[in-house]
Amino acid sequence: MSRKSVSIKLKNRISELERLGQKLQAFGEDIGLSKKCVFQINLAVDELFTNIVKYGFADDSRHYVRVALSHADGKISIRVEDDGIPFDAAAKHTSELKDHIEDCKIGGLGLHLVKRIMDGIEYQRCGGKNVITLTKYTPQT
Amino acid sequence: MDIIETQKENISIFKLNGRLDSNTSPALEKKLVSAIENGIRSMVIDFENLDYISSAGLRIILKTTKDLKRTDGHIVLCAMQDYVKEVFEISGFDTFLPIFSTVDEALAKV
Repeated sequence: MSRKSVSIKLKNRISELERLGQKLQAFGEDIGLSKKCVFQINLAVDELFTNIVKYGFADDSRHYVRVALSHADGKISIRVEDDGIPFDAAAKHTSELKDHIEDCKIGGLGLHLVKRIMDGIEYQRCGGKNVITLTKYTPQT
Repeated sequence: MDIIETQKENISIFKLNGRLDSNTSPALEKKLVSAIENGIRSMVIDFENLDYISSAGLRIILKTTKDLKRTDGHIVLCAMQDYVKEVFEISGFDTFLPIFSTVDEALAKV
């Protein structure tokens, strides 16, 4: 039976990217996603996670970032949740990037990629947490 | 990620294997910086066995391109998976970075 959802709890350490990649790969294989689609989901979550770990916390304490994916009717929803400083990644303006690519600001390039390879991005601040929800439609077979 | 460096005349070829993200990109940056310090002016980066790249990897490529430009050097990229190439296109990097289908083609053009 194919798994329809998965939840991953990551420490706020860049070294967690490897485990994140393995988990997303396994999820993608279980639901029969293409290599390209798995890559794009991994890239989007990686960029958000890396930004959170690098810039999201004002202290040196251990924090956790939760990533939850669910798949139904050709649509994948990805929720990324952290308890860091408020940051609306969805509102960050990245459309002018192409003209200034060589000088683009920290985080700007990553978020530009996320917006281009995903079909939707929404931000909410709730209960002291940043919640980003990404949407990706899978090609119909 | 593994990085295999080989020389062909005065060209350095870096073959990347695995994943290039913010976890692994410092190792690649170190290798490329050291090559430039050692006088290398022509580089080919072979992406054939690279399964994954994030903006952290793109930044190393961009930084190396700028470093080489300052010393009249050249960098070309080759043999990318389609979805990796698409990331270079979305980023606009393909407008100033030559990307070839094969290593031989890249060696001929660098």
